[in-house]
Amino acid sequence: MEKKILLVDDAAFMRMMLKDTLNKNGYTNIIEAADGEIACNMYKDEKPDLIIMDITMPNKSGIDALRDIKAMDPNSKIIMCSAMGQESMVVEAIKLGALDFIVKPFKPERILQIVNKILS
Amino acid sequence: MTLNNIGDLNSMHVDVLTELGNIGTGNAVTSLATLVGKEISINVPRVRILDFNESVQFIGGAENIVTGVLIRLIEGIEGMILYIFEDKFVATVLKTFFGKEFKSALEINEMDKSALNEIGNIMAGAYARALSSMTGLKITLSTPSICVDMAGAILSVPAIEFASIGDKVLFIEDSFGIGNDMVNSNMILVPELDSLNLLFKKLGVGI
Repeated sequence: MEKKILLVDDAAFMRMMLKDTLNKNGYTNIIEAADGEIACNMYKDEKPDLIIMDITMPNKSGIDALRDIKAMDPNSKIIMCSAMGQESMVVEAIKLGALDFIVKPFKPERILQIVNKILS
Repeated sequence: MTLNNIGDLNSMHVDVLTELGNIGTGNAVTSLATLVGKEISINVPRVRILDFNESVQFIGGAENIVTGVLIRLIEGIEGMILYIFEDKFVATVLKTFFGKEFKSALEINEMDKSALNEIGNIMAGAYARALSSMTGLKITLSTPSICVDMAGAILSVPAIEFASIGDKVLFIEDSFGIGNDMVNSNMILVPELDSLNLLFKKLGVGI
């Protein structure tokens, strides 16, 4: 069954770029959320195989959503993808259970490499 | 001793802020180059301490229509970053990402705005990373917000909010080449005074 990927970012443009990259590389089952709150609600129903999560978002940040989704499902797979990439933030995310942390802007090859590795 | 007004900054402080401006902008433009997938050549940014009124003139006057992206610094260093994107910059971005011809900043659609917002977000993130790395402070940013309006209106946002600390801002004038086009993008940094004092303390610069 095709892997389902949830893209969480308040920037429609960033979701579009990510979706485009993933679609072109065989990942076509893509769902989207514009903030951490929506992502948490969607997780319960959709159970995506992977979440790519921004950090700075309205309503609920990516870090809070990471924490909440991990509490719901410790086996959930989440990659953080943010314009803020300071060391303390990366460490915090990894400690909370994120599998990787990509700093924007990223090259498409980089995100694909990580997605392929996690979903293989 | 502490700073009570941005006008209290002396030439040494300005030098320090200029260097921060250079380093921060260098990081931000590198990020921008990766995002647009093109080489960007950068001229040395020009950092000035300006009155709000002077900075309005620098961006074409109070009635000039500009695109502004505002990001708040909410932890570590507090204050605002305001990017002012001139039409040529907006045109280059829209052409690069969407292949569309730019007519007027007032006609850009929601996806165009999202792209410009994200550019501001990424550039501010790079700037914050540079500041964080130099000061050891964790710097958190707000979500960006975009506005296309007259320059006077856009600049009134930081002016009103920071009226209590004086009427001066750090104005970083960037000029860079994307492909064959030279474009300008200006960044206005308005730090809260406590943050400015903390910044100098972390850098070991006396007040």
